[in-house]
Amino acid sequence: MKRQFAHPAPSERELNGPRYWRSLDELAATPAYRAYLEREFPEGAAQLDGVDRRQFFKLMAASFALGGIGLAGCRRPEAYVLPYGRSVEDVKDGLPLYFATAMPLRRAAIPLVAETYQGRPTKLEGNPSYAPHGGASSLRAQASVLDLYDPDRATMHLQDGAELAPAAASDLLDAISRKYTAGRGAGLALLAEASSSPTRAALVARLKHKLPEVIWAEYEPVIDEPPVEAAQAVFGRDVKPVYRFARARRIVSLDGDFLHAEPAALAYARDFAQGRRVTSKDEADRMSRLYVAESGLTLTGAMADHRLRIASSHVPALAAALAGRILGTDAYAALTPGLDVKPEWIAECAADLLAHKGESLVVAGAHQPAATHALAYLMNAALGNIGRTIDFVAAEPSVAATIQQLAAAIQAGSVKTLLILGGNPVYNAPADVDWPALQKAVPEVIRHGYYVDETSAVAGVHLAATHYLESWGDARTADGTIVPVQPMILPLFDGLTDLKLLARLIGDEVTDPYTLVFNTITGLAGGDPEKTFRRFLHDGLLEGTAWPPVGELQPRAEAAAAILARAPRIPAVGAKALEVRFVADYKTDDGRFANNGWLQECPDPITRLTWDNAILVSPRLAKELGIMPPGSLLQVARAEAADFELGREQAHVGEVKLGGRTIRGPLHIQPGLSNYTIIVPLGYGRTQSGRVGTGAGFNAYALRTGGAMHLAVGATLEVVPGQRYALANTQEHWSMEGRDIIREANVEEFKANPAFVTALGLEAHSPPYDEASAKLPLAEKAAEIPRGNSLYMTPKFDGLHQWGMSIDLNTCIGCNACVVACQAENNIPIVGKDQVLRGREMHWIRIDRYYSDARIDAGAFGGEGNREIPEDPQVSLEPMGCQHCELAPCETVCPVNATVHDNEGLNVMTYNRCVGTRYCANNCPYKVRRFNYFDWNKHALDALYQGPLGHQKDMPELLKMVRNPEVTVRMRGVMEKCTYCVQRIENAKIQQRVKAAQAGSPGDVIVPDGALKTACQQACPVEAIIFGNLLDPASAVSQAKAQPRDYAVLGYLNVRPRTTYLGKLRNPNPRMPDYADLPLSRRESIIKNHPAGAVGGGRMPETGKI
Amino acid sequence: MSHVFPRWSNSLPLQIILYLLVLGGTVTAGVTYYCTPKYLRVGYAPVQPVPYDHSLHAGQLGLDCRYCHSNVDQSGFANLPTSQTCMNCHQLVKPTSPLLAVVRASYESGEPVPWVQVHKAPDYVYFNHAAHVDRGIGCVECHGKINAMPVVYHAQSLSMKFCLTCHRDPAQFLRAPADVYNLDSPTLAAQGRAADAARFVHDWKIKPPESCSGCHR
Repeated sequence: MKRQFAHPAPSERELNGPRYWRSLDELAATPAYRAYLEREFPEGAAQLDGVDRRQFFKLMAASFALGGIGLAGCRRPEAYVLPYGRSVEDVKDGLPLYFATAMPLRRAAIPLVAETYQGRPTKLEGNPSYAPHGGASSLRAQASVLDLYDPDRATMHLQDGAELAPAAASDLLDAISRKYTAGRGAGLALLAEASSSPTRAALVARLKHKLPEVIWAEYEPVIDEPPVEAAQAVFGRDVKPVYRFARARRIVSLDGDFLHAEPAALAYARDFAQGRRVTSKDEADRMSRLYVAESGLTLTGAMADHRLRIASSHVPALAAALAGRILGTDAYAALTPGLDVKPEWIAECAADLLAHKGESLVVAGAHQPAATHALAYLMNAALGNIGRTIDFVAAEPSVAATIQQLAAAIQAGSVKTLLILGGNPVYNAPADVDWPALQKAVPEVIRHGYYVDETSAVAGVHLAATHYLESWGDARTADGTIVPVQPMILPLFDGLTDLKLLARLIGDEVTDPYTLVFNTITGLAGGDPEKTFRRFLHDGLLEGTAWPPVGELQPRAEAAAAILARAPRIPAVGAKALEVRFVADYKTDDGRFANNGWLQECPDPITRLTWDNAILVSPRLAKELGIMPPGSLLQVARAEAADFELGREQAHVGEVKLGGRTIRGPLHIQPGLSNYTIIVPLGYGRTQSGRVGTGAGFNAYALRTGGAMHLAVGATLEVVPGQRYALANTQEHWSMEGRDIIREANVEEFKANPAFVTALGLEAHSPPYDEASAKLPLAEKAAEIPRGNSLYMTPKFDGLHQWGMSIDLNTCIGCNACVVACQAENNIPIVGKDQVLRGREMHWIRIDRYYSDARIDAGAFGGEGNREIPEDPQVSLEPMGCQHCELAPCETVCPVNATVHDNEGLNVMTYNRCVGTRYCANNCPYKVRRFNYFDWNKHALDALYQGPLGHQKDMPELLKMVRNPEVTVRMRGVMEKCTYCVQRIENAKIQQRVKAAQAGSPGDVIVPDGALKTACQQACPVEAIIFGNLLDPASAVSQAKAQPRDYAVLGYLNVRPRTTYLGKLRNPNPRMPDYADLPLSRRESIIKNHPAGAVGGGRMPETGKI
Repeated sequence: MSHVFPRWSNSLPLQIILYLLVLGGTVTAGVTYYCTPKYLRVGYAPVQPVPYDHSLHAGQLGLDCRYCHSNVDQSGFANLPTSQTCMNCHQLVKPTSPLLAVVRASYESGEPVPWVQVHKAPDYVYFNHAAHVDRGIGCVECHGKINAMPVVYHAQSLSMKFCLTCHRDPAQFLRAPADVYNLDSPTLAAQGRAADAARFVHDWKIKPPESCSGCHR
């Protein structure tokens, strides 16, 4: 008899009982969430793109059969050890060698030290011998080593698409040289990118001497030096400014991004940080104050104590108003009509500057018209800053023709042969020049370039250039110091350096770049040539070659009046006449780094976008365009800055029209912009770059004309209806939601209560340490881990060191150099735009960027209320990597003990134990663990979804050469995260032991403080990251953690992170109209946590204008 | 109702369990014996491109290990000699031997001699020679009596257990620093100098890592 089971019908309670929601999105039941629910698995989790199930089984069956027959896996793989045939000086197998070199970029090189393993450069660091950088390096310098191994670089010389042998290429140059010698160079033209190389300058001088009729033109799409005519007008001399930010206590930036966009930005950032660093109450009074007036939101603006949103084209007027106040004259009043800035802002700012004569500084952005610079110089002179916070050095007059002059010559038909050295004019020449057509009009075009790019496509001959890491050369840093460009490796593909090319063209006897550089340097320095040159290469710089400050400079106000008279009056800027700012992209610069995967995937510090550029529009403009997102309820408090769908920014597409030219690109709503200014980053939309750069973003050069290189007014913007574009934005959430993640205070509060951080956040109520253990010295706290309230067994911390890190939020400028330094050091792969859209980026350290404006009301946190995107926010930045919690939540959930603690306090990840459950990432409160969803290191990015038997495209071999041999290359299916650079720790420990044993004091095994730096710390230009041994109370990290500003992010979780942060200080001027007596994030926190008390008390900034 | 299953089937479950137990036991025993580095690696003695005889050079002639493996006390990697190092002697000793043709060719051309690697740690293991030989661990501990090997073979298992045995109790394996490269010397412990070994551990702060991070990065 068959038994029957009667399933009871669901009860009333089951149907109508309490309903639970698993995420805020579900609660909100947004359409996006419904779309998500309809899928059985989250996006990408269950797909096997390109291969169907049937085919998969067929292939698998075939593979098993083959595997059985061949038994290939049963044979022991034979490995070989290949020693050199002949010994190489200084090479010790397994140990890296370090050489000084430099990365040239436009007119300023960054001195570097390259780490090479058996002749293979893998990592670049700043050269510590160069004091202004102190061993720091920039984002682009860190990433530039990848370009050397770029599989898409030009690997051979080409003539009409066919290979040209190196010897034939040389013959070609010789032939040109002979051909034009008779006519003294008439008909020959060269277009080069800017360079600071003394050797190249000498060669150009010789070329012009030998062939006086030759046209030597230079073109750079990005102008990063102030116009010399301003200094010429004010001082009557060709000089340019060098700023000394460390000595300045009041700094005003007039649309200048000196922390990023200036040639000397690295030195400036370091200098600026020196003026901001505060270790104690007494130093707080010395902290500098930064006023920034700008149209976009730059890194400099993000650091400002007072930030004025103003259209760039109105900045000359602001400068005039400020100068009028400071110089006590109304001579400049003619410039100011139409300026819409509160007079108090200008008055109080001027008063503050006047109160700090000789300790203040006014800086103008390089793209600003000469009038702004002239006014800035006049102000600095009036404030007595010259010689103190600002020096002037002689500016080398340019001997080159402009691209416009060259274009005219081509149009006149007088150019028969054109050599293009570097650059990429077809892509980035001003649109009104119409360079592609001009280049086609020249009978013979020879292009010397690193990539076969847009320009090479319309050139008959392409000569492959060398990377700077494989060529001899020299360069000058931003302050004029001559540095060597030393090759680390023989040219991988028989490339040609520009020095050799020029020497051939001149028809010199000596064409060897080494000898050319040798002759230049020894000629400049004098002394014993061999010794001088060896010392030059060893130190990585030629001591004493920095440009000396020019002596007494007297401003001539009456002469300056002429330049001011010519200055443009304030143009009307509005929704129908937008201002367009063309800026070099943070990462790809003018497009030259477009094929660098590390840079493409590095998030923009402010927008957090990867793999794309976007037209940045202000929230006000977005509202007027009707693209302001309604916001989902996913956000507790605030609508998001753009439409996000499952973490993907679905940007509207806009069309910008300017002077009859049009570009189209995604629109990203960017808080902090001047209302009617749109920011258009250059450097994207390459059509012929490589597999990384081609097709990323849109090309903004199409809109730009020679007369308005960085600033234009009169554009219109229309939204393309119905079109959306997915942007890979790595930070969906921009608000701290009133939590105390980044703790900030004004200097006044800090002086009254240096330990303000302890009173914030939940720790104030539930401190991780009990009262007795909180008083223990740091070393004891680290080693013993007073139990506190932990449920779990604590690891035994009995190592000889206890490692820890301190990050100073007060000096961090968010430049992202640490992100790429970490990537280079730790073999971190890139994953491609498609995977970043799925949230799978692999960076071990990221920089979180938060906005706060305190304009939310308490209701916004619960339901309705002010949910608008802030127009004028304060920015807070925070580097975030694995915190190495002493009581790590990731460890307790790992089923296979793949993540455990070592006895020196590192939270270590054992890759070959990991089975990829991802529980650890799930349980990490900081979200810093990264999972290898694919064999990123093995497969090409466009073939990730293809299995081992599908059509397989492997990662190009060449890219493998950039890997650090000291770090395991992770495979698919394992978790990874910051290791505190465990390879550097272990090697430092071993080297210390080896040194001690060989010196006869084998017990001296403690790594001395400072001998070991993590990759992020080493790259950091502002020394915000400090790493070291907590057991040593004198170590820099112990000192930093002993500061009262030290706090742990999410400390109330009792995870006891080893990375702690130093709270951020702001230094606003109480007399300014936009003064807020509390940092805005703090006010948001109060509004959220104490809604009743939020109304009264405190001064809030008034709504900003423009 | 007739019986569906015959009577003998009553014992079938037991038989199956017994069979599985035996099978499982055999497989386990097989794996633990055959699938270990001890079985798979020990004794590996590949044919080298040059029949270099350690028992002749290091044994009879008494060459120090560091003459050829010159960076072993500084670098993590114990380098193999360049052909130039070989030619230091062989320019004069047996300069025409056909066995050395490969070395001479390599010296002339600069192309490396393709020595077959005998001792190979997995990619995720970062063994450091200098850290060991500079701190009292003799070559012989891991490599065996190389000075008695005409053809080098894999003498020890070099499994993780092998490493950890020493890392957990280094005093048993330490040599006087002067004896590190003397492959015939006994350890301090074997000489009955346990107190000296203990003092060595204390004075030199010998504290081999037992954490993952010591060897895996």
